[in-house]
Amino acid sequence: MSGERTIPKLNDSYDIVVIGAGNGGLAAALQIAVKGGKPLLLEQHNLPGGFATSFVRGRFEFEASLHELAGIGPASDKGGVRAFLEDECKVDIDWVPVPEAYRLILTDDNLDITLPFGVQNYIEAIELEVPGSREPMNKYIELCRDLKDTIGLLGKLNEKPDITKLAESLKNLPAAFGDAASMPVKIGNFMKTLAYTVDEVTKTFNIPAKAMKILYPYWCYLGLPTSRMSFTIWAVMLLEYLERGAYIPRMRSHELASAMEARILELGGQVEYNTRVEKIIVENNQVAGVETASGDVIKTQHVICNASPTLAYNKLISPISAVPPAAYKNVNARKHGGAGFVVYLGLNAPMEEIGIRDYGLFISKNMDTDDIYFSMGKAALNNMQATICLNNAIPYCSPPGTSIISMTTLYKSEAWHTLTPGDYFKLKNKIASDMIDQFEKATHTRIRDHIEEIEVATPVTFARYTGTHGGGVYGYEPEPWDSVIPRILSQKDECYIKGLMFTGGYSQMCHGYSSALMSGQATAGAALRKMGVK
Amino acid sequence: MRTKVHIKGELIDLLAPFYLLPDRKRRFEKALPDPIESDPVNELARAIHPAKLKLEIAEIRRETDSAKTFRFVPAPDSGLTSLPFFRAGQYLSLKVDIDGSPITRPYSISSSPNDTLNNGFYEITIRRKEGGFFTEHIWNSWDAGMIVESSGPCGLFYYDSIRDSKELVGIAGGAGITPFRSMIKDIIENDLDVHFTLLYGTKKADDIIFKDELLELAVKAPYKLSVHFVCSEPDSGWDGLSGFLTSECISNCCGEMDRKTFFICGPQVMYKFLEKEMTCFDIPAKRIRREAFGEIPDITQYHGFPEGAAEKVFEITALIGNESKVLPARATESVVVALERAGIAAPSQCRSGECGFCRSILISGDVFVCPDNDGRRLADKKFSFFHPCSSFPVSDLKIKVIRDI
Repeated sequence: MSGERTIPKLNDSYDIVVIGAGNGGLAAALQIAVKGGKPLLLEQHNLPGGFATSFVRGRFEFEASLHELAGIGPASDKGGVRAFLEDECKVDIDWVPVPEAYRLILTDDNLDITLPFGVQNYIEAIELEVPGSREPMNKYIELCRDLKDTIGLLGKLNEKPDITKLAESLKNLPAAFGDAASMPVKIGNFMKTLAYTVDEVTKTFNIPAKAMKILYPYWCYLGLPTSRMSFTIWAVMLLEYLERGAYIPRMRSHELASAMEARILELGGQVEYNTRVEKIIVENNQVAGVETASGDVIKTQHVICNASPTLAYNKLISPISAVPPAAYKNVNARKHGGAGFVVYLGLNAPMEEIGIRDYGLFISKNMDTDDIYFSMGKAALNNMQATICLNNAIPYCSPPGTSIISMTTLYKSEAWHTLTPGDYFKLKNKIASDMIDQFEKATHTRIRDHIEEIEVATPVTFARYTGTHGGGVYGYEPEPWDSVIPRILSQKDECYIKGLMFTGGYSQMCHGYSSALMSGQATAGAALRKMGVK
Repeated sequence: MRTKVHIKGELIDLLAPFYLLPDRKRRFEKALPDPIESDPVNELARAIHPAKLKLEIAEIRRETDSAKTFRFVPAPDSGLTSLPFFRAGQYLSLKVDIDGSPITRPYSISSSPNDTLNNGFYEITIRRKEGGFFTEHIWNSWDAGMIVESSGPCGLFYYDSIRDSKELVGIAGGAGITPFRSMIKDIIENDLDVHFTLLYGTKKADDIIFKDELLELAVKAPYKLSVHFVCSEPDSGWDGLSGFLTSECISNCCGEMDRKTFFICGPQVMYKFLEKEMTCFDIPAKRIRREAFGEIPDITQYHGFPEGAAEKVFEITALIGNESKVLPARATESVVVALERAGIAAPSQCRSGECGFCRSILISGDVFVCPDNDGRRLADKKFSFFHPCSSFPVSDLKIKVIRDI
């Protein structure tokens, strides 16, 4: 017995501190480490990943939050996320393709359709169900491609111009895409749709009403009604999924998180867990350091924060007087996205016996996204669930004769505000049970008797592990004025404290795994430029 | 060649993007310049799942010659007005400093969730182990008024209305009765729509913890509870069941096995014994729930543990923050024990490989992971992360120790 406890110590100062090891924080620390920086990554939980994690119950390992990633693609046609992780950072992840785009079941409409990946296959499947959809859908997807191509160009601009000069700056770039003559029109189409919602744009294409319902289920990956959702971000997401397909890591998203963590360590970065940052110390409107709940006081001029601006301005900045009113106005004007609710089931029967062949199912009463969104406001059975049958993408993800299903829905955080501890376990089991019924009725299957393991995560659970405001799993809602392009173009204007930058789902790229990862790369790049690293 | 889109009219479409940022600024201008007052979801999360608790021993009750119940209330200076709610069957991980070594031990909560909600206390019941390092310390030093550090309630050993059948059987051995007292009280106090059959095995009748209370509850709520005490070495006056918890005994007490969910809590030898005894019932895995296995007293008995390693003492180089420390580690003791002996505050909770709270990095060297306690995630195996509480050194190791909370 030594009679004396050894308490971990950190250095007195670091070039850059990353707060939070979620997707955005890991990607940022990784990018910095790859460029030769020595980041300190601090995480309050004992694991990396934030929502990107897994957990073991009995003989099952459950995925905590991931449905599917965009931006991966096959090795022969890597998307941005895969290129960043694999080529630039040498991160070792075993990517598995998801077999189909989705199965959609709308119970009020008696609709049950499975959509394949690949633009043409997708459109043909819709045409088969709703004749007359092909032509307008082709045009619609072409517009989505205009936007995606233009955003690809935007990434090549080193300095982000004022919005009034945006179109011009883009047109002056050397042609990056095959059909150079089309580029001015594409840029024009990008500009002309920038301020509009999904509904505003989509309605002009004369797509049959039933085909619109089939087109819309990915809305829930952004989590706000199509009547308010930015068309730009929707178009890019839709086309990325259809063109490159969707992928998941073979060993759940914990493989993604652990692979990034292991690579950061290998490159000489430092990661400390159970180390909650309590203060971002600000002096003369400039970041001066951070202080942790474990008592570390660390000097640094650069902080990349994976916690939301809402949390940073309300909880972290010290002294409070260093937060300008404009920063509060910024975060108070923005709308928080959905909070997660997931039912994880380990079944003692294989998928073939249950009778489900699909990986991702969207089950809903209808595809009225305003109506579904409204139902998110009450802590009771929600109109829609997005369900993953993991074995249909990774057959051996659970022992022979078993399978894994997880059912996700979203709530507005406010729906959980009046809940008391005494009612908590009862309510979560009630909603879980109703969601199981909802699934069984829609798919005409029986799973209840096969449940060997069950776990239920609520907004309270997500708050417990990540501290996210209101248990939110998404960032701010990307309405046109708060979508990717306005966020990127406003970054300089909205930097209220020098040296403080953001990454993750609340930052410039909006939410979702792929966006959070890419925001880490982008923010780290900006930080490195400020630090004078090339 | 691409065609131009028309959404609301050429001019409106062309001008619309130029209003986007002014619109954004206008929205910010109109918003309140004040901090957010509260976040009820995070407050509820902290109330139900605090990282740490400071508890005061309010009362100590002797249950048997070798078992005491400790009643805990929030410590006066803890800032807590109430204790976190929990699910009957969960445990607390107590953290005690013994001669400079920070040691944790998981103990099931023996009081009911209602006791916590309405009366503001937890009870844990500890049986003294002769020569047991931890229990001896508690026996000798714990008194009413003392402050004890604990985790929030945790663990997965609880009844779930969606997963489990309405006919429950609890099989307890020795001190393994504690979570069942909580479950039984929960069922009766909340009038849950289930029936619970308890089989409780001890050596002697005097060792039965909560005997009178359990019998009284069975009389009070016969439709919810039936109780069977089984003594393996009863004294002459014992008129109850005697012997071990064999398949015959279980079958006699439970009747039909079909559609019953079994909960088992006791020493490891009992788990192994019951595994054999219950094979003949052919019960699907989903209907046998076992409490976490606990620390392994004799790792050498496991197949695959390297021959000749048993007597060895290895060297662990532990990176802690930006320092490193070298410490000795016996092959027969888990890495977490070696860290505790060296006075290193490393986190641990279930000490059964299950909760992952101690997840650390194995930089180099080999460990033997107890197959009964291997709760590692797949990717942790791929990237050399390990659970020190269920891993035994079989070479010199270099590890990065995770900070304690």
